[in-house]
Amino acid sequence: MTDQTVSGFAVRTDLAYDLDNHMWVDVRESGHARIGMDALGLETSGTLAQLAFSTDDEFVRGEPFGTLEAEKFVGPLIAPLSGRTVAVNGAVSADPGLVERDPYGAGWFVEIEPTNLDEELPFLIRDEADILERFERKVRQYRIEGVLAE
Amino acid sequence: MTVWRYLADDGAGAAEGLALDEALMAAHGRNAEPAPPVLRLYTYADHAALCGRFQHLEAEIDIDACERTGTTFNRRPTGGGAIVMGSGQLGVAVTTAAHVDESPKAALLRFSEGITAGLAKLGIEATFGGKNDLKVGDRTIAGLGLYLDGDGGVLFHASVLADLDVRFMLDVLDIPAAKLGDRAVAAVESRVTTITREMGESWNGPLLREAVAFGFTDALGIELQASEPTGEEAAIAGALVRDKYATNDWLYARTPQADATATSLLKTPAGLVRLYVALQGDTIKSALFTGDFNDIPDPIAAFEDELKWSRLGRGAVEAAGARAFRDGTGLEVDAEVIVEMVLSAGERAQRRETVAAPARDGSCYFPDQEVSA
Repeated sequence: MTDQTVSGFAVRTDLAYDLDNHMWVDVRESGHARIGMDALGLETSGTLAQLAFSTDDEFVRGEPFGTLEAEKFVGPLIAPLSGRTVAVNGAVSADPGLVERDPYGAGWFVEIEPTNLDEELPFLIRDEADILERFERKVRQYRIEGVLAE
Repeated sequence: MTVWRYLADDGAGAAEGLALDEALMAAHGRNAEPAPPVLRLYTYADHAALCGRFQHLEAEIDIDACERTGTTFNRRPTGGGAIVMGSGQLGVAVTTAAHVDESPKAALLRFSEGITAGLAKLGIEATFGGKNDLKVGDRTIAGLGLYLDGDGGVLFHASVLADLDVRFMLDVLDIPAAKLGDRAVAAVESRVTTITREMGESWNGPLLREAVAFGFTDALGIELQASEPTGEEAAIAGALVRDKYATNDWLYARTPQADATATSLLKTPAGLVRLYVALQGDTIKSALFTGDFNDIPDPIAAFEDELKWSRLGRGAVEAAGARAFRDGTGLEVDAEVIVEMVLSAGERAQRRETVAAPARDGSCYFPDQEVSA
């Protein structure tokens, strides 16, 4: 079963994660990678009011590919992989609430053609047990910080 | 004990003040040498009108009024609503490197504690409330914001109200409800407070600086070392003014989510009540109730806070009502009636919104009254 919950937060264990930036990656059969934001990141950011994606065609892992305005901050969307833009999900720019309603499905941000997948994929968390354990640890951390209710 | 750099200055112009804050972030990029965090406590020259990162400037700031009054205007990198800054308001900027192990919300809370502790030194008990405010009771005394750049830097911004000329604010922020005259002033004054009001004597930003600086040392366990912008920081700030903050691309930037506003009227046993609601997409950016009451009823004030940053949807608005109206609405009508009032105004606002362009004149405090129930 790939749809799981960790302390009440939805997690898909068939995806790869950059948990520092709360980004998920779905490497598809086409070789393209869809990128979105995980449910825990959404919860700690607060309501998403704006999503704006870079018009650059090239993504660089660790660099911003867009900006969000959430309830608690304005900040960058950090690319978990390098690549070339294949598609941008205009539906989430028009309706950021879609990301909260379906973070791992219709709420995806961008699709890229990875340009350095073999070297960069190992930096992401992919093992199911590891994903669940890291999410659990993040939830504990956020509860200690007081940014998540007990 | 961790040592922070401490900068204090007065009389900043809108572009210059914001540019220096951003220049101070540059030292905290992930590829930069480790640098101490910076606390800057400063005031703007009378006056500066600053809209939030994703607002439409012309919709929030009355540019004609700014030109008439010599008020500079600009766009902050942080989110939130339009504000007026000047000698009466203390600007707080903290720049540091983002910690992987600290969420933005936790950082916002941590830095706000410096201000809370500073106010406590004056005997003012402020708490984190609303969505991103410090409140004294139900009244806002400081607005807070956080900006993370793409390079690993963090900028915490706050505006602490030592004093506030509400009438002036109503003039330069594009607030059609100013047509309400004294009622508009009263409506704002019932939602904000100042050090002047709390202390019963005249205060200003520079006067407040020492207490807030103390608050940061006390609450964050740091030592402040007086500093000045380095030559490099000053050069970066100058370039940012030229290439960013003084450009029309930045000032008049368009954003994906359109603004929209509407009003509703409701006749209650307690008198006529008008609701102003401002949306960005389906996010409620502000809701404000005015009416035939001198002081806003506590449940209505709580409802306004709950609605801010909620989605405009029956479930979310009803949930906000359930949290705010546990002991009634204070208006002698049921909670459901007030909830419907919000949904009705919001839905009409959404029907009128246009994509990526100002659809109104208004501000986060008093949206325009183009539609009435």
